[in-house]
Amino acid sequence: MTFLSRVHFESLLKALGGTHKLLFPVGSGSKSHFTSIDRSDPGSAFIGGVRSVEPLKAFFFSGRERVASGFEPGLPGRELQPLCVVGAKACDLKGFRILDHVFLDHEFGDPTYKRLRRESLVISSDCTDALETCFCTSLDGLPYPEDGFDINLSPVSGGFLAEAGSEKGRALMAAHSSLFTDPSPKQQQERRENREAVLEKLRTIAEAGGTPGAESLKGAVARRYDAPLWAEEAATCVECGACNTICPTCHCFYLYDQMAQGTTGRFRMWDSCLINDFARVAGGENPRSRLWMRLRNRFEKKFDFFPKVAGEFACTGCGRCSAACPGRIDIRRVLRRLVENG
Amino acid sequence: MDKNPYRSVKTEVLEVITETPSITTIRLRPSEPLSFSPGQFMEVSVPGVGEAPFTPSSFCGDHEKMDITIVKVGKVTEAIHELKAGDIVGLRGPYGHGYPLDEFRGKEVLVVGGGVGLAPLRTLMYSLFDMRGDLGKLAYRAGCRQPCEFLYREEIMGWLDRPDLDIRLTTDQCDETWSCATGLVTSIMDSSCVNPANAVGISCGPPVMMKFVTFRMLEMGIPPERIYLSMEKNMSCGFGKCGHCRLGTFYCCKDGPVFTYAQIKDIPGIWD
Repeated sequence: MTFLSRVHFESLLKALGGTHKLLFPVGSGSKSHFTSIDRSDPGSAFIGGVRSVEPLKAFFFSGRERVASGFEPGLPGRELQPLCVVGAKACDLKGFRILDHVFLDHEFGDPTYKRLRRESLVISSDCTDALETCFCTSLDGLPYPEDGFDINLSPVSGGFLAEAGSEKGRALMAAHSSLFTDPSPKQQQERRENREAVLEKLRTIAEAGGTPGAESLKGAVARRYDAPLWAEEAATCVECGACNTICPTCHCFYLYDQMAQGTTGRFRMWDSCLINDFARVAGGENPRSRLWMRLRNRFEKKFDFFPKVAGEFACTGCGRCSAACPGRIDIRRVLRRLVENG
Repeated sequence: MDKNPYRSVKTEVLEVITETPSITTIRLRPSEPLSFSPGQFMEVSVPGVGEAPFTPSSFCGDHEKMDITIVKVGKVTEAIHELKAGDIVGLRGPYGHGYPLDEFRGKEVLVVGGGVGLAPLRTLMYSLFDMRGDLGKLAYRAGCRQPCEFLYREEIMGWLDRPDLDIRLTTDQCDETWSCATGLVTSIMDSSCVNPANAVGISCGPPVMMKFVTFRMLEMGIPPERIYLSMEKNMSCGFGKCGHCRLGTFYCCKDGPVFTYAQIKDIPGIWD
């Protein structure tokens, strides 16, 4: 572990901005969003705090992307610059584990996602606070990254404690070794205290909300498949799909062909499983014709399907869906009702 | 080098064959050879309109040409019905798992189809005829609503003369042109058509038909692990990424579309 002063951190960002599309959060306390170096000065980067409003997936698997042009055999996204994302939180890194499972396979891997994951840098950071909607620790997550990053930054007075988590990260730190200095015991103590304070805050939030733990959620959706809670919770759903688009693990998309200037562009667009037509077939049959079936499907996918096929919940506990839902459907309340037979 | 799984192969429409008032077969010649096995599906796109999944209906041994039989039900299929010889479409695939033909060797085979489900089953039947010597008894049962909707009617009527095939056909309603049975397809699934102890059952057709055909096969004594069903879901990407065709812990596109009943029988709502 080494120390990176705030001044040196900004020099590092400027250097990385020359080789990568640099993205970093700006904002304050509870609300931050990512911006790029061509829009804001790295001096305004807000590292620490809580997860950004938008999920990190938005930059690696974008909402609308051309994936093929006519019948050309080439790969899409050649113009895309590798990314360097700074200030990503642990919940978004966990989101990568699900997206990697979906998009990184040998035979049918998504070319753009594959390339961006391979060539991009992820510089994460500890959370220094928690939102009322945060519940990562209930799902065995932590408010600070332990893996899945190239470099992690833990905010301390005057800068950050930096830790490499990959070969790429170690090489980057070695290439800029003059920026990094030895950390003081006080800085290390500060990091421990921050982590403990955020954990304590998350414990208090989880207890107040009665949020169930990961162990009790195993098999819960299957056990409560026919429970009335689905229809009751869906009563305020307006089918907007915000929970899907804001989710760091939701990966569903549709392919849309569009003709322009004589060639066909094929676009990969984010889709939402809450929308009526999601599973409908052309003949008209719809296996999830009722809204509550579609709400249940979302939970089934996250808490039953992914544990079975990928060995983990496709929920990171970031709480973005609860924050975004205009119908006030709180994922933690649904989970609590699931395990409490409510 | 990564390949682009979203890209379609440029494909020429060689011929358009009107099968019934609502069903058309397009004969296609892709600019790159595409080989498939019975039961696998393709994504067909009409430039600028969109894509939809279809299972080929021609012999899979022909790597130059491919027939796809399509009912007019939506935006893409309407555009396909407008195609003429010489037009260009896109083809991606093949995707998913088809029928495990090798496992059928030495077995008796009962094939039951209905409606446009007879299209993928024609590909299967060509392959079964091709390996006929390796099979025990081969039984074919097919039905549809009315005689004018009977897909490949002339060709299948010709199969009535095959000594190596136990074939019975039915329509829900009959007219003066129809000389075969009248009634649902389950009514011509006689208990003695195959020996259930050594038989596989295959069904393709509308979900409600497959449901009752499956129950009839179980009643005949064919076990769930030897009943093969071709499931229809909203397959879009074709390779387990877009999420539309989930069926329990499977994606219909990459784990199916042919499943054994044993694989899917405990998944709620499989016939919906």
